Amino acid sequence: MEILKQLTFSVLGAFKSRKQRNLRKLNDRILREATINFTKPLFRLAVLSYILAKIVQKPRFLKPEYAEQLKNIENALKTAAESVGRVPDSEVLKNFKKVETTITSLEKKDRRYLIGLVGKGELKTAATMYAQGISLGVAAEMTGMEKQEIMDYAGDTMMFERLKEELNIKERVKTARGFLGGA
Amino acid sequence: MITKDILCDAGSFISLTSTCMEQLIYFFAEKHNVRFVIPPSVEQEAVSRPINRGMKKYLFSALRIKDLINDGVVSISDVKASEEAKQIMQYANNLFFVRGKPIQLVHMGEAEMLSVAKKLGIEYILIDERTTRMLIESPFSIKKHLEKEFHTNVMLNKKNLQALSKELNGMHALRSSELIILAYEKGFFKRFQGFEKEALKAALYKIKYSGCSIRFNEIDEYLRWRK
Repeated sequence: MEILKQLTFSVLGAFKSRKQRNLRKLNDRILREATINFTKPLFRLAVLSYILAKIVQKPRFLKPEYAEQLKNIENALKTAAESVGRVPDSEVLKNFKKVETTITSLEKKDRRYLIGLVGKGELKTAATMYAQGISLGVAAEMTGMEKQEIMDYAGDTMMFERLKEELNIKERVKTARGFLGGA
Repeated sequence: MITKDILCDAGSFISLTSTCMEQLIYFFAEKHNVRFVIPPSVEQEAVSRPINRGMKKYLFSALRIKDLINDGVVSISDVKASEEAKQIMQYANNLFFVRGKPIQLVHMGEAEMLSVAKKLGIEYILIDERTTRMLIESPFSIKKHLEKEFHTNVMLNKKNLQALSKELNGMHALRSSELIILAYEKGFFKRFQGFEKEALKAALYKIKYSGCSIRFNEIDEYLRWRK
C-alpha cells in the first residue's frame, strides 16, 4: 500500500511539472511493481502514468485552452493519491477511474483516433506485461483489453525478436511433421 | 486414416481466420483427417462473446469460426477439467519468485487448455500465445527472460517445476506458423502456381504481424532450409 501511495504522488508530481521523461520512467517502474505485487490499483496506476506521459508529450494539450482540464486531472489524481491507504482498494480504483474520466473529457474536443488515450494506455500496458513474460490471459484480465488486440499490437513490435528460445525452427517443423505422422 | 486431434487456443484461431487462412483448417480436416478441438471457453471467447456483444472488430472472425464449427471441421469438447486447471495454475503461478513474491504467469483459461488436453489425451496444442507455450517447451527460458526484464534474480521453485513438468509431459505446442508451413509442405499453396514459396512467405509474415510468436529469423531460416 505504501508503495502505491508513494508512486501515485510521484506521478502527480511529474505530471504537475509536465516532465514527460520522469513519467515514462515512473511508468516502467510501476509496471514492474504491478507485475511483482499483482494488485489492480498498481496496474491502473501504470495505465494512468502512461496516459499522462502521452498528454505531456503532445504540444496541443499544453495550450492555454486545455489548462483548466489539466488542472482537473491534477485534482482528481491528488484525491486518488490521498485516498490510498485510507479507503479499500475498490474505492481507490474508483478514484483512479475518475482521473480517467477527466482524461477522456480532454479528448472530446479534438478526438483523432478510434482508440482513445485510456484505451491506448491499457493496450500499451497489456502489451508490455506480455513482453515481460506474463501470459496473454493475465495481461488481458488485468488491463481489460481483448487478447487479440494485444496480439495485434505485439505483432507490430520486436518483442518476439528479443526472446531466446530453446527450439529452433527445424526442430519445430519436425515436431509439426510428427503430428501428421511424418518425419 | 487415423484421426489426429489438436487442441486449439482462441488466439491462434482468431489469427488464422482474421488473416483469411481458415481454408487451411478445412484442408487439414478434409485431406489429412485432422480434428480441431476447442474447449467451450475458446468457443465463448472467439465466437459467442464477439457475436453477443457486437464487437465490431472481431465479428467477422467470430462468424468464420462459427462456420468452421457448423461445418463440423472444429468440434467443441465438453470435458470438464477445472479442478485439474486449478492445480496447473497453482504450480505455474508459484514457479518463479521475485523479491520473495510469486509471479502470476498464467490465467485460468490458459491452464484450462492444458488440463483439457491432458484429460482428452491430446498431445498437440495449437497455440500462438508465448508464455503458456514456453511453459510446455522450456520453463527455464521464462526464468532467463524474467531476469532480463526485471533486472533481478528470479528464484525457481524446483518442486513446482517438477510437478508442472509431470502434468505437461508429452505435450507438444505448435504455432499457427508451423501449421502454415505444414500446409505448404502438403501442397496447400499449389494454387498459387509458381508462387508457392512467395505465398508461404507472405502468409508467415501475415501471421507474425497478427501476433503469432515467430521471429523473422525463423521465417528466413525455414525459407533458406527449403531452397
